Amino acid sequence: MLNELYDFKKDLNNRGVFFCFSGPVSQDLLVEIGTILRKKMEFEETHNAIVLRVFSMVVEMAQNIIHYSAERCPREGYKDELSVGIIAVGYDNGHYFVLCGNRVFNNNVENIRNKLIHLQKMDKEQLKKHYKEQRKKEPSKGSMGAGLGFIDMAKKAAKPIEFDFKPVDEKFSFFSTKIVI
Amino acid sequence: MENLELRATKYTPAICFDCENHVLEIIGESYPENIAEFYAPVFTWLEEYVRQLGDETVAVNMEMIYFNSSSSKVLMDLFDLMEEASRVGKSFVVNWIYEEDDDDSLEFGEDFQEDFEDLSFNLMEKKDFMESVAEKKTNLF
Repeated sequence: MLNELYDFKKDLNNRGVFFCFSGPVSQDLLVEIGTILRKKMEFEETHNAIVLRVFSMVVEMAQNIIHYSAERCPREGYKDELSVGIIAVGYDNGHYFVLCGNRVFNNNVENIRNKLIHLQKMDKEQLKKHYKEQRKKEPSKGSMGAGLGFIDMAKKAAKPIEFDFKPVDEKFSFFSTKIVI
Repeated sequence: MENLELRATKYTPAICFDCENHVLEIIGESYPENIAEFYAPVFTWLEEYVRQLGDETVAVNMEMIYFNSSSSKVLMDLFDLMEEASRVGKSFVVNWIYEEDDDDSLEFGEDFQEDFEDLSFNLMEKKDFMESVAEKKTNLF
């Protein structure tokens, strides 16, 4: 690994990724990540509205990991357990992008997939309407927030949310998303 | 009843609810991990405030720099409470304050304005809001 670290970093940079974190994510860590990303984008004289939009994607993604990642440290159900995931932020072709990945239980895959396919098919007006309707409803069972995270991201994104599931074993899959701002 | 004052943290806004002058302000960023825990005392205070409120007009100044999706739901519940109160004769005026270049905040404001027809809901650019506050202060002297 020592010998490959430079190549690993170069590979990330070649893909436009300027920030990457893999490991346990907490609210405090999210605040620090958010602060440093905002500072970096401000130094680069990124438009304030874009800075806030990228930041908002990172917050929603990190809080999704915190609330829903099926990879827990040291284990599921442990007091003060930590949630594990990966977040990357980059810039490519004139657009910022945010990548996020975490384990999910196999029996949740279809549900998440259907929700995201549904969002991919909507245009901006439909997303706006859907967001307002969902906001009025009580959050669904199992939701830790308002159940609005993905709709909010889709609404603010420049392109439909891309996603992928990779089977890990009989219990878990790895769920990846990419949002372009 | 006493004023409610909560200092801003990195992920919770400053809450300045002044029940003597009838000015309620929420200023800052809102993305706590546990949304219910932070906002429960805010709603408890508001419900009590609405109960004892007379015919005074309440100014609600909302200056949210950033809020996450679950905070957006909380804001809706907050405006719901104010709209309900407005329907039974209480008077609330909400000022949604946004930075000139922040289109997302303006859009959120417009969406709330559409959703709460029975609530007096103004969209104000920050510099205009600051000017109007300064004007009010000059008029006092």
